[in-house]
Amino acid sequence: MTQDTKKSGVKRREFLKVLGASSATLAVTACEEPTGHLIPYLVSPDQTVPGVSTYYATTCRECSAGCGIISETRDGRSIKLEGNPDHPLNRGALCAKGQSALQGLYNPDRFKTPMVNENGAWKAITWDDAIARLSNAVSAAKPQAAGAVFINQHESGSFPRFLDGWLASFGMPAHLSVDFEADHAAIEANRRSYGAAWPALSFQDAKLIVSFGADFLDGWGASVPQQLDFADARAKLDGAPRFVYIGPRRSLTGLNADEWLACKPGSELAIANALSGKGSIDAAATESGVPAAALQRLATELAAAKPALVVSGVSGENALDVALAVAAINQASGAVGTTIKPAQALTGFEGIAHTDQVLAAVEKMRAGGVGIAFVRGANLAHALPKAANFAEAFAKVGFRVSFSNVPDETSELCNLIIPDLHSLEQWGDAEPVKGTIGLQQPAMDPVYPTLSKTVPAALGTADLLIQVSKKAGSANQPADYRTWLFTQIPGGTTAISAALPKGIVSGSLAARTIAAAATTPKSTSIASTQGDLTLITYHSPLLGDGRGANKPWLQELPDPVTKICWSSWVEIHPETAQRLGIDRGDILEVKTATGTVRAPAFVYLGVHKDAIAMPIGQGHRSKANVPDFQPKHDDSKQTQWGYGRYARGIGANALDILPLGTNAGGGMILTATKASISKTGDHRTLPSTEGSARQHGRGIAQAINAADLSKPPAERREEELPGDASHAFLPGLRSPVAADAQGDLGSPTSADQGKNKGMYAPNEERGMSKRRWAMTIDLARCTGCSACVTACYSENNIPTVGAYWQNATLFADARPGFNIERGREMNWIRLERYFEGNLDGKFGEDFEARFVPMMCQQCGNAPCEPVCPVYATYHAPDGLNVQVYNRCVGTRYCSNNCPYKVRYFNWFGYGEADRKQYAFPEPLNWQLNPDVTVRGKGVMEKCSFCVQRIRESENRAAAEHREMQGDEFTTACAQACPSRAITFGDAADPNWSVTQLIADRRAYHVFEELNAFTAVVYLKKVNHPAAGAAPARA
Amino acid sequence: MATSALPSGQRPNIPSAAVRFPAIKSYEQVDSDIAGTLGPSLGWFAALGIAILCMLIGATTWTYQIHEGLGAAGYQPPVMWGVYIVTFVFWVGIGHAGTLISAILYLFRAGFRTSIYRASEAMTVFAVMTAGLFPILHLGRPWKFFYLIPYPNWRLIWPNPKSPLVWDVFAILTYLTISSTFLYIGLIPDIAILRDREKNPIRKAILAQLSLGWRNSDREWRHFTRAYLFLAAFATPLVLSVHSVVSFDFAMALTPGWHATIFPPYFVAGAIFSGIGMVFTIAIPLRKAFKLEHYITLNDIDAAAKLCLFTSTVVGLAYLTEFQIAWMSGNPFEQDYFWNRVFGQWAWAAWIMLICNCVLPLSLWSQKLRRNTTWLFILSLFINLGMWFERFVIVVPSLSHEFEPWQWGTYRPTWVDYGILLGSFGWFFMWFLLFIKQLPVMAMAEIKEVLIPRMKHSHDPTPDLTEGIVHPDETGATH
Repeated sequence: MTQDTKKSGVKRREFLKVLGASSATLAVTACEEPTGHLIPYLVSPDQTVPGVSTYYATTCRECSAGCGIISETRDGRSIKLEGNPDHPLNRGALCAKGQSALQGLYNPDRFKTPMVNENGAWKAITWDDAIARLSNAVSAAKPQAAGAVFINQHESGSFPRFLDGWLASFGMPAHLSVDFEADHAAIEANRRSYGAAWPALSFQDAKLIVSFGADFLDGWGASVPQQLDFADARAKLDGAPRFVYIGPRRSLTGLNADEWLACKPGSELAIANALSGKGSIDAAATESGVPAAALQRLATELAAAKPALVVSGVSGENALDVALAVAAINQASGAVGTTIKPAQALTGFEGIAHTDQVLAAVEKMRAGGVGIAFVRGANLAHALPKAANFAEAFAKVGFRVSFSNVPDETSELCNLIIPDLHSLEQWGDAEPVKGTIGLQQPAMDPVYPTLSKTVPAALGTADLLIQVSKKAGSANQPADYRTWLFTQIPGGTTAISAALPKGIVSGSLAARTIAAAATTPKSTSIASTQGDLTLITYHSPLLGDGRGANKPWLQELPDPVTKICWSSWVEIHPETAQRLGIDRGDILEVKTATGTVRAPAFVYLGVHKDAIAMPIGQGHRSKANVPDFQPKHDDSKQTQWGYGRYARGIGANALDILPLGTNAGGGMILTATKASISKTGDHRTLPSTEGSARQHGRGIAQAINAADLSKPPAERREEELPGDASHAFLPGLRSPVAADAQGDLGSPTSADQGKNKGMYAPNEERGMSKRRWAMTIDLARCTGCSACVTACYSENNIPTVGAYWQNATLFADARPGFNIERGREMNWIRLERYFEGNLDGKFGEDFEARFVPMMCQQCGNAPCEPVCPVYATYHAPDGLNVQVYNRCVGTRYCSNNCPYKVRYFNWFGYGEADRKQYAFPEPLNWQLNPDVTVRGKGVMEKCSFCVQRIRESENRAAAEHREMQGDEFTTACAQACPSRAITFGDAADPNWSVTQLIADRRAYHVFEELNAFTAVVYLKKVNHPAAGAAPARA
Repeated sequence: MATSALPSGQRPNIPSAAVRFPAIKSYEQVDSDIAGTLGPSLGWFAALGIAILCMLIGATTWTYQIHEGLGAAGYQPPVMWGVYIVTFVFWVGIGHAGTLISAILYLFRAGFRTSIYRASEAMTVFAVMTAGLFPILHLGRPWKFFYLIPYPNWRLIWPNPKSPLVWDVFAILTYLTISSTFLYIGLIPDIAILRDREKNPIRKAILAQLSLGWRNSDREWRHFTRAYLFLAAFATPLVLSVHSVVSFDFAMALTPGWHATIFPPYFVAGAIFSGIGMVFTIAIPLRKAFKLEHYITLNDIDAAAKLCLFTSTVVGLAYLTEFQIAWMSGNPFEQDYFWNRVFGQWAWAAWIMLICNCVLPLSLWSQKLRRNTTWLFILSLFINLGMWFERFVIVVPSLSHEFEPWQWGTYRPTWVDYGILLGSFGWFFMWFLLFIKQLPVMAMAEIKEVLIPRMKHSHDPTPDLTEGIVHPDETGATH
């Protein structure tokens, strides 16, 4: 061969061949992404099998409740959080906040090392240095030890006692355990009336639920268990309790109510008194502005309902009085022990320091009596009203230490920052329910280990404090916090080892001894403030007191009520807006005696016409002048003060204009002032995912009145849908789920009404797959909480796109939420919130809200499939509508042809690390699910019914030589759902519960008339109108 | 046509030169007049410069868009198609008039086509070349455009024959092939004339190659006229099919406002209408600049204006029919969309469309205005605008107001969209301007065919060039 070549040289033909092939290769590869390499373990760590997940049961620390979670850990990295099914509190469900803990763990703005502020400049220091500095500071503060302040973000379990012990060993007083979201008035009233801070609420046993502003689905108390129980109660359909919401603002909880009584802010007490017989109905009607007839009807209903469940969560100055009045109603209706169960109290709410105490500590600082102050987790500089002047008082403290692991406002004011580990990286415990201890174990090694030879690689605050004690020469120190912790839990190490897989131990922890808080209400009467509208501030159900704001999932998740993300807003009633000439999106200036803030208007039916409402949670600001975040340049160089790149500079902080006040329960008054608003003349398109808030009679969210359910079909009053006359006489599901474009036997017109499963029938001769994956969504259960959306983001590597730098480079707007304004959100599952009734936006006329989770309907006869020119979307034999990213060229025709509009396009390279639009900056990319592709620029994507989970289960069944069992696995959304509204399964196999649900009398397909034969079946919402009231209309 | 003005004894559908081109006296005059337009001038260089600049702006913008992702353009889901598809359909539409005039009017023996068909045919080819860019340009991954082409591959994956976008690929490529072939075949005798007049040896050699050695012989003319007739017959159904296929992109979808059986004829009529509008936009300035008033006569323009008026009324009828169908369908989605079309957020676009396409062309009922080239030029600009907005009204409002109210949206193009739109005009005019200075914008040979009978009795001293040219009547060619 070589000789031949030498002789003849390269032949013309060969040359052309090589030329053609190589230039073609060059031309094609020039556009391809560079290839990466996978490097296998040489020696695999214990329990680590590449590609196989390990699951660790631990405890969620995102709020005080302390739900049990299971961390899915793959190759040493936690990749998803799910509820722990064995945990008595959350029973497998998990809210959006809890799931987003993962983004706290992998937050790109986490401190990697301790930091010290010297002469106004921040400097990274070693861990050994940090421990030395802390020890010195603690010793130096010894003379003033009695005046030391330690403020910790509230958590239940043993750590508070450990901390108190540590403080005591240095002569310091017990720490303050703060939770600004806690409803102190309710806790105080509960304590007085039921002897427990937070008794379990049993919605299932109630005949009537009345809420005075208690947003038990929004974050008031323990949202997840409350939602589970509430949904179970509503799932009783015609036997379900009616739910009446009383308050000036209709929250997510309010939107789930059958009736809203829009009372004037502060008038709840009059209503509560009237209902309990202490006051007259007429007087209450006059004071609250609610029609006397409605109050009378409610009073009658309440008298008949044995037991009822009445809860109060009002945020005004008389909160405690309302809560006590409500407790009296409960006691009268026999609720205690049936619907209110002090015996099963949620102990996570014990031991929270009153806001009063926090303010007293702040005053002590201001007086100069504090030599050293510690802050861990709590972000007082943001979560206290500006009127408290925290920064000024804090500056007077001799030495300020923060254990926060993110650059929040409070850390920025400190001298020394020693970042704590994330809760998923350290040991701990919680007592969420009386008699149950939840264990917290590290789900992975620290993202940022200490890299020190002298201290352990994983050094949480507890271990750090032990190190400090050792340095101070204190004897009898445990080896580490885990050793100490294991001695605290009944049964010790043996019990813990046995319990770790489940994450729970029976028994109780020793109670923390704290002095009872003296409550000295400090408030100026709201009546004396200036302004024509009452300002209602409330904690955002997603961002809480602001803690969630640095997690892009929570920023991107639309608020369940307003559907706005990456922004603040002012809710204003349409009548008021019209009177003042305000349109949606007009930038308003809200003015109170304490200051002004600017935020866009959101015209909302669910707020009292004499009030405006603003959420708390946004408005994070740095003290230092931090330049706008520049992706690619700033990643590690610049500390992102102001709570990180995702939080800083977004929206306004409603607490800036809230006067300082506490109620008799010791909590902050959130409805504390009147305000005046004025238009600034500016306008912005709200970054909202809401298109039209009305469904225009299109039957997307259908409902039926409870009374009609039990009637025979002929007498049942169904909603009339235009263009769909047949619905009136043919309720329920018409086209079978199994029907398919190729399965002609499954036609909806077949005589057997869809019992024939077409090509999905098990013994179908065409040999197609015997499965037809399907889903039911029970709208009677769904509360619209949006936990499913975050679960989907987490499971399917969905990029968040709302950060201000995620727009194009040249001549492009850089404002938060720009891509959301343009409808470019990527939520594979979205929560639609439709309003029914009160089309004219009149105040005093009730309206209904309906929530519809909408994702790819996995049509049997999918409109997207035939239009794709390249078969990037096609029909899988098991009924799935599959999207092949590598094949997609991005014509977007499939989206145009999708009636449900559930396809999402990658407008930018959100998944490409070298682009400014990159959605997973290091180490956020550690969270990516290795089973799911990160999509590239220019391709379409959509819900896949978690096809990776389907295939995993199929493979597992095949590997174990068995058939798949019914309900063997479920999708991420169904798994997370705290209402248990979503059920997933095989519609062709009766062993899956989805087959029974599909046969429900409430079942319907959305846009059934389009003959798409969808695999998602909705079960109608069930309404419970007041007796004699007009039924809700579509 | 003013047939009554014909001298007796002449075939009514082949008006004599006296009527068609009264001011033209000789073959030589035809050659010198038309070949005389070819020399580049300062104004031409300026126009070409502007066109190339616009094209470069478009090319740069596109490069930026490819780098950044389609998000740089103004897409706002659910409006997944925007300016690019609008402009695509616009240019395909423009590309229709040329073949209509050169092929269909040829078969119908409409004499007024003679003077304008070459320019409009060139316009067709360049418009289709422009249109063809857009389906690639609007892709999320344009570098993968070849997935739409059925090429043999190892994975045995083919394009989806059900998808109208694949039909588009075939329709556009077929149309481009046929219309450029047709243009070239028609050019051969004229290239031969240029070859004979050319002094520059290099240009002469190139023209000689391009003219395929045309010697003006009887046999050549016989074959030429046969081939021309065949291609005309071949191209005629394409005029109807291409835009029908383009309309299927919309009609085959479920989207309210798209899903309508009326779309193919409606699109074809609209395409012809817009094409004639563009012919006016091009031919009227050309006539003035090249001093071709003797060739593109007012009679020709008058006749084309009548065609314009006719297609305008067809389009208007189609608009009304859409509303009628929506009204009678009982389909709430459809009804809601059409109500929204004229009274909703996009009403302004719909009214631009209606006024430009249906109201303003009504002026053409007046013969005075039909013969007023200034008015026709202005009107043609309105028609171009109106037809662009017609496609906008079809594409954008439909998508922004579909089945699912929660996903209703709006659309606002960015500078990237406008840059590429501008670039498409630059690209088109660059080719057109290059064409008019390289090749004759008027079919010299065909004009001479009409001149022949008069020339025989002419007292003109110019030498008789008819030797070797056979009169169409004698060859039996069907002119």
